[in-house]
Amino acid sequence: MPSGTGKTISLLSLIVAYQRAFPLEVTKLIYCSRTVPEIEKVVEELRKLMEFYSKQTRESNNFLALALSSRRNLCIHPEVSSLRFGKEVDGKCHSLTASYIRAQHHSNPSFPVCQFYEEFDAVGRQVPLPAGIYNLDDLKDFGRRKGWCPYYLARYSILHANIVVYSYHYLLDPKIADLVSKELAKKSVVVFDEAHNIDNVCIDSMSVNITRRTLDHCQNNVDTLHNTIHKIKETDAAKLKEEYRRLVEGLKEANVARETDVYLSNPVLPDEILQEAVPGTIRTAEHFVGFLRRFLEYLKSRLRVQHVIQESAPQFLKDIYDKVCIDRKPLRFCAERLQSLLRTLEITDIADFSAATLISNFATLVSTYSQGFTIIIEPFEDRTPTIANPVLHFSCMDPSIAIKPVFQRFQSVIITSGTLSPLDIYPRILDFHPVTMASFTMTLARTCLCPLIVGRGNDQVALSSKFETREDFAVIRNYGNLLMEMSAIVPDGIVAFFTSYVYMENIVASWYEQGILENIQRNKLIFIETQDAAETSMALEKYQEACENGRGAILLSVARGKVSEGIDFVHHFGRAVIMFGVPYVYTQSRILKARLEYLRDQFQIRENDFLTFDAMRHAAQCVGRAIRGKTDYGLMIFADKRYARADKRGKLPRWIQEHITDGSLNLTVDEAVQLSKHFLRQMAQPFRQEDQLGLSLLTLEQLESEEMLQKIAQVAHQT
Amino acid sequence: MASLSEEVLLVVKKVRQRKQDGTLYLMAERIAWGPEGKDRFTVSHLYADIRCQKISPDGKAKVQLQLVLHSGESTTFHFANESTALKDREAAKELLQQLLPKFKKKANKELEEKNRMLQEDPVLFQLYKDLVVSQVISAEEFWANRLGGVTNTDPAQYKYKQEVGISGAFLADIRPQTDGCNGLRYNLTADIIESIFRTYPAVKQKYNENVPHNLTEKEFWTRFFQSHYFHRDRINTGTQDIFSECAKQDEKGLKSMVVQGVKNPLVDLLSLEDKTLDEGYGVCGAQPSTSNSNRTVKESSNYAIIKRFNHHSAMVLAAGSRKGETPTDQASETSSTDGNSRDSDFFQPPVKKVKLQEEYEDLQQENRPKTVPLNLKKSDRYAHGPVPLQSQQYTTSQDIINSVNYIQHEMANYKPNLTQVLSSTVATSAISALSPGGVLMQAGAQQAINQMVPSEVQGELKHLYVAAGELLRHFWSCFPVNTPFLEEKVIKMKSNLERFQLTKLRPFQEKIQRQYLSTNLTGHLEEMLQTAYNKFHIWQTRRMMRKT
Repeated sequence: MPSGTGKTISLLSLIVAYQRAFPLEVTKLIYCSRTVPEIEKVVEELRKLMEFYSKQTRESNNFLALALSSRRNLCIHPEVSSLRFGKEVDGKCHSLTASYIRAQHHSNPSFPVCQFYEEFDAVGRQVPLPAGIYNLDDLKDFGRRKGWCPYYLARYSILHANIVVYSYHYLLDPKIADLVSKELAKKSVVVFDEAHNIDNVCIDSMSVNITRRTLDHCQNNVDTLHNTIHKIKETDAAKLKEEYRRLVEGLKEANVARETDVYLSNPVLPDEILQEAVPGTIRTAEHFVGFLRRFLEYLKSRLRVQHVIQESAPQFLKDIYDKVCIDRKPLRFCAERLQSLLRTLEITDIADFSAATLISNFATLVSTYSQGFTIIIEPFEDRTPTIANPVLHFSCMDPSIAIKPVFQRFQSVIITSGTLSPLDIYPRILDFHPVTMASFTMTLARTCLCPLIVGRGNDQVALSSKFETREDFAVIRNYGNLLMEMSAIVPDGIVAFFTSYVYMENIVASWYEQGILENIQRNKLIFIETQDAAETSMALEKYQEACENGRGAILLSVARGKVSEGIDFVHHFGRAVIMFGVPYVYTQSRILKARLEYLRDQFQIRENDFLTFDAMRHAAQCVGRAIRGKTDYGLMIFADKRYARADKRGKLPRWIQEHITDGSLNLTVDEAVQLSKHFLRQMAQPFRQEDQLGLSLLTLEQLESEEMLQKIAQVAHQT
Repeated sequence: MASLSEEVLLVVKKVRQRKQDGTLYLMAERIAWGPEGKDRFTVSHLYADIRCQKISPDGKAKVQLQLVLHSGESTTFHFANESTALKDREAAKELLQQLLPKFKKKANKELEEKNRMLQEDPVLFQLYKDLVVSQVISAEEFWANRLGGVTNTDPAQYKYKQEVGISGAFLADIRPQTDGCNGLRYNLTADIIESIFRTYPAVKQKYNENVPHNLTEKEFWTRFFQSHYFHRDRINTGTQDIFSECAKQDEKGLKSMVVQGVKNPLVDLLSLEDKTLDEGYGVCGAQPSTSNSNRTVKESSNYAIIKRFNHHSAMVLAAGSRKGETPTDQASETSSTDGNSRDSDFFQPPVKKVKLQEEYEDLQQENRPKTVPLNLKKSDRYAHGPVPLQSQQYTTSQDIINSVNYIQHEMANYKPNLTQVLSSTVATSAISALSPGGVLMQAGAQQAINQMVPSEVQGELKHLYVAAGELLRHFWSCFPVNTPFLEEKVIKMKSNLERFQLTKLRPFQEKIQRQYLSTNLTGHLEEMLQTAYNKFHIWQTRRMMRKT
């Protein structure tokens, strides 16, 4: 089911009903989604549901539901919220709210602090947030009215809220989860929406890349630390002694109590954190700085390689022990020790220390996990072998590591998306046993989607983006023809996806040379996604404007890009989606190769299966952008003959597969144009309520009828 | 010669027209040609009448110049002097080029305006045909009244008219053609130039700066086409190019657009992700660097194309929605030069938008009263609307109910009074008079006028009505007659009316008589005319009396 068909509201209403019936069994619903707009949409749906409840039951329910997002989206401090990037906002916020800053403010009132946080800290905790539905804007409004910081209010309120909606990083990324979601009750239901990419999110949250630039920054950080320690030693040696004493006693917890002090928590999962005191070798501040220096020098030497190196974490640890005599145990405490030191030294601008934090996180990760990770050191990028740009990739290959604590901790976890297909691969790569699995199709009153597989050009040249033919002029020309013909018949917006940026750039250049783009411009304006997000946002906005004012536009975009993942093309913003080629991931990447190997060895997933699965889920994501509900309609054009093969086609979501007829498997451009014309003409007819009654719109009687219940049971494809 | 008093600007000898040798004269207000040896002009056109001039291509054997008139006629001159033909032609062309626009503007504007009005209003066009073409009144008289309105009210309307946007592919229309030898030819029309200026104000600025002081127009465009600016895949190379500054300006515009960010949070990719991973985390954290340092030439040229396309589309879009602003004063609109049309209020605040997206009409509770669905048996009749022209008095349902009640009441109390009935003969005659075709049912025939009268006659009648209405309007607008001008006009209008009756109405009447149709059709028209005549007579007798 693509979104817009009621996935979210079904889940919400079911779980909320359960929550109302068994308030002690299900105490909390944690709804995780992907992007900020999606989070907001979920809350709006929830608001509707609650309105319906109060209308039907004629009593106001005391549900508290709220959305939580980063400071950037919730801050109301006039100075801080004007900053544009999340990192800046976080850093600035920290510099106004850290406990020692506030202590200084006590002694010297002219020291700036955030009055919203002060206000919240003074009174905000005593009275819980009144029941209701709070979207991000509602929280901000509430915060402004009361003069409380909405961010900390939300973070505090999720502990007793009935429903929490936030991004899945807050649960999956151990660095953040430990801060935000640590105290959430076990008896919660967790929903991961739009979870088709959840494995990548898991992997991302545990992986680290180190470049020479990072090391340089880190070097500066370490120097600053060194100087600060010196200064403090002269003025306030007691402070360092106090820290030392605490570390000896393992009293680190006592210090963490202040929520505002911690920027990023320990990068490893809670069950791996050692419950012992920090080892003696890094207990004093100077020793720790010296330790960091050594580690840094070692990393620098590793980056000075001339050829690619791939090794496992134990190999790395052995090497570091041999070369610079760094033990595994102090490495494991590295992240925590650094945090403690930063707190003790009262560093205000904590964002500046991101490089040092990164390095220490890497140290902790590499020494904690011996399995599921790999270290790859590349001296240069593959495309530019002459320019030295060494990178150390420490990459997680096993998504199940990050998601395991979630499965262990919460009583029910629901993973859902419009494009989870094939279903059975997810339990394998995430390593869990599903209680139940079901895939649903859509019941449509009219076939509002029209998937076509265009395999040949008008000159019978096979269309494909596969490596051997992708530079072929005939293929590029035919792709251009396809887009041109479509631009002439499809109203309003067309979105075209390419397999990669490089491929798109090449094709656009050669279309430009051949004059194809000029011909397309006669019909529609052309906008192109670039790698710069701000530029792309602007292009997107202009694209929508052009669709809106009737001129019509084409957006050339990239599968796996930001557009393909987060932007919906409702109604006239996307009447056709063209997928040029099969969006395979760049298979020559060493990280990918390592991951494939790992999957094969650990989970018995064949490389090709995984690659195809990955390509098809991205293709489905791309084409699914156009259909956002039953009143929407759109063409889905798969322009590659490989889509016709059963192994590819079979991996598309069922709701797309169902509508691919045998007649539309290997079309030429002309045939596709004919079919599209027919389809568009049909879809342009008015779509009335009567047509849907009994099919996609049921009255209460119809819903309760025996026949319909049977039908529903049938539709739910139980596996 | 007939009009030597006119100032002669140019004389070209040995010019052939219709295979006759002669001399071409370009004078202050007209162009004329006289055959050799005669001292009168056989061809003479006012400049104001000339729409455009065309010249034969350079390579052709015959060196010709064609004048196309507004009326659609054309005259071709063949420059026959072998040695200087080209030069002669160029001289004539250049001079014409300077002269024509002067006259063109004035004449054209009016003409275009009239043309536009006639094209937009079919009724007016028919009227024009009826009255002017058939010479009931002169064209000037016809327009005298109209154009007054044009100048007063229409400009406002004209402004409201939707501005024509710019084709996205206007640069594609300048298809370069090889001209045989080592060169390219670009076809540039006024429209394209206009498009370029509107889309790229920077170019316009350059044009204003450089033409004609530094460069001729031709040179300017030649450079434009040679510049990297036009060829988007070329990368900025030198600074001697006058357009490099334009490119820089564009770049700046693009940047400012990007920096401004987008208003619609749903498309803002920067804020889409809730928690972006910090730099250094993630699998492919090391982004392929976008800096130009380690891009190959090809890659950066590809990148330039993409950027230019985005920019171009944005500019075209902005040019289309840049309303009212004249792109002439460039400095004042710094905001619009960067291609941003921020005035569109279509973007709503985020939550609203979020709400909007998930609305389904069919799931909403029916709040409005239940309506009966319209069930049409013949939908085409519905679409064309009710046809018969009837004057009806509508009765409210309450009235009908009342009357039904009343009738019921009456019926209930009805007692036949048999002593006062009609005699049978009278009764039958009354019935026959009331049955269809009877004397009293004649009125019903008018209802069916659309069935009785062939449609062409109907059409003609309609035109007559419109024409008569127009004339009468002119006539009645003269009253009260208080100026000599109006006096004159009213007399003229009366004669016009009479002429109309004579030349239009009479033939029509005869025609319908021939077709055995009821002459009643024109009764009303005649009545109207008669009223006008009566008024005229009264006025005239009064005037006479006053005079005597």
